[in-house]
Amino acid sequence: MALLIWILQNFWSLLVLAFASLVGLRIAYRFHKYGATRAELSHILRRSPFYLVVLIFCFFAAAPFMIMFLHSFKVDGDLYRRPQPFVYRQDPTLEHLESLFTNTAYLDFIRNSVVVGVAVVIITLILSLPAAYALARLTGRWGERAGILMFLVYLVPPTLLFIPMFRIVVMLGLKDSPLALIVVYPSFTVPFSMWLLQGFFKAVPPELEEAALVDGYNRVEAFLRVVLPLSLPGIISTIVFTFTLTLHEFIYALVFITNTSRRTLSVGVPTELILGDVYFWQPLLAAALIIAIPVGFAYNLFLDSLVQGFTMGAVKG
Amino acid sequence: MMSLVELQGIKKFFDNVRAVDGIELEIENGEFLVILGPSGCGKTTLMRMIAGLEKPTAGQIFIGGEEVTTLPPRKRGVSMVFQSYALYPHMNVFNNIAFPLKAQSREKKYDKRAIRDKVENTARLLEIDMLLDRRPRQLSGGQRQRVAIARAMVTQPAVLLLDEPLSNLDAKLRANARDELKEFQRSSNITAVFVTHDQIEAMGLGDRIVVMSHGKIQQIGTPQRIYDDPANEFVATFLGSPSMNILRNDVFSFGFRPENFLPKTLADNPENSRIFHYYVKRVEYLGSDRLLYGYVQGHDNELTLAKVPSNVRVSLEVDSDYEFAVHNSDIKFFDKTSGQRITEQNLQEIL
Repeated sequence: MALLIWILQNFWSLLVLAFASLVGLRIAYRFHKYGATRAELSHILRRSPFYLVVLIFCFFAAAPFMIMFLHSFKVDGDLYRRPQPFVYRQDPTLEHLESLFTNTAYLDFIRNSVVVGVAVVIITLILSLPAAYALARLTGRWGERAGILMFLVYLVPPTLLFIPMFRIVVMLGLKDSPLALIVVYPSFTVPFSMWLLQGFFKAVPPELEEAALVDGYNRVEAFLRVVLPLSLPGIISTIVFTFTLTLHEFIYALVFITNTSRRTLSVGVPTELILGDVYFWQPLLAAALIIAIPVGFAYNLFLDSLVQGFTMGAVKG
Repeated sequence: MMSLVELQGIKKFFDNVRAVDGIELEIENGEFLVILGPSGCGKTTLMRMIAGLEKPTAGQIFIGGEEVTTLPPRKRGVSMVFQSYALYPHMNVFNNIAFPLKAQSREKKYDKRAIRDKVENTARLLEIDMLLDRRPRQLSGGQRQRVAIARAMVTQPAVLLLDEPLSNLDAKLRANARDELKEFQRSSNITAVFVTHDQIEAMGLGDRIVVMSHGKIQQIGTPQRIYDDPANEFVATFLGSPSMNILRNDVFSFGFRPENFLPKTLADNPENSRIFHYYVKRVEYLGSDRLLYGYVQGHDNELTLAKVPSNVRVSLEVDSDYEFAVHNSDIKFFDKTSGQRITEQNLQEIL
């Protein structure tokens, strides 16, 4: 505990120190490998502006997260004292973090979000995998038009749809239940995933499937044994994307569910931690940061295939 | 006894395009049949219909005496080597070759060992047994082609379909691969249907050649028959490099191959030859041959080529006139409008 507080207090100097030692180690390694020659020195000098620019961009990207991190440990007096808000002038505290987990239903929100997200991802895959495959391979001109039409559904904003959707939810008796979200979310995740997956399926040469057909398999088997394994990166990025779509959805979640402990993160956190115009900044930032980090990692892991998926869909229009 | 594969009145239309337009064809057991034609002539579509990847618009297909016209590929006992080889990139060579066996093992109950034995035997036959652990992307073009053939052969299909399997190899490898493919087909005695647009491949590999154009069969025959005795003007000009000279007069057209068009002094048998006055416009020296571009007297608008071996010491100068001869039997006559071949007797009647 004391260590954490010490780290927080010396956050910026530790950051600079860690960075400097990394740079030092790297230079030492190069000197060790190539010898501490003039040429090597000039190589390092020549390359350093490039890394300096990279560093600036890294800082730019990471700064919001670092600030969120720092602020969530500040006591109120420190947080609101101006200027220079990014260092601690009073001892950091863990009380806000504790209150996030004890005084709010944060863990319930996480659980609800994960349950809804996983269920929606499964439903989405079940519906959009065959649909995307059919659009990529089995239909002619009309299929393509139908695909565009389905994608248009995605462009109708939830702000227009939430009232009719609410009536449907009430009719189904699902009000105040995460099931409502599980039923409604596929209305925008399915068209989107279908579009994304279609691009990946189109990238698999049709000859491979035909080879599987000639080799003695039927179309479903050819799909499962050849197309699916080859588009696995695409499917994984579709899963990540669909999951985050459900994670940050706000309006449906706000309208369909009023019981606090049944809410999801995207609604639960702002409604619990913003009361009127009173913002509980520290737990709010901590709540956002805790959920952002795993999602960020997942995105980065599949960033390349995600971008590929988008552009493939775009080009094939 | 029915032929192994029989096509009856096969047609395939894509919208309004007649890709394949009425094909009658019998493929005999154990033969190497080449389907030859320019791109877009429907040869690949025809093969895909035999494989079951396309459904014919009209007509019937029989394999081994059974009608298979509407059966899916897996129920036809055929296998296919694709132009791109279509190896499964996510499987190693062993699993690529074992893939069709695993499909069959549901009915025939191959155990793991039987599959392993079969894959290894086939791989040994094609000399790829040391590559079984590799992924397709780690293989050279020639190796990929062998893996594709091994995968097609491992189930011992009734018919092996090959869709331009040599066109992705570079020129040096191609001659070698052609030889091996023919050797392999002969030793395994499999029935092969080979689609190509390359006449050298077709002449070198085929027991019989089917020449196709515009979705129709132009001629079926042995390579020699097709070359020496073309059924029509299309076949005559499609085969041979450079292609046959065609000259037209008021009643019919006639043609002769550049290699049969020689200076009169070289003709074996000048009495039975037809003599032309030939004006040489340009000479290309090709090493083994000289290729002459020029005009025959009376046909000033029809470029006529002659191919004279370099080792015959006849001086042939640009911008000069010579007497050239073609043996009468080397001149083919064609109908002026339909392009169909006219025999000499018929020609007399026309005249």
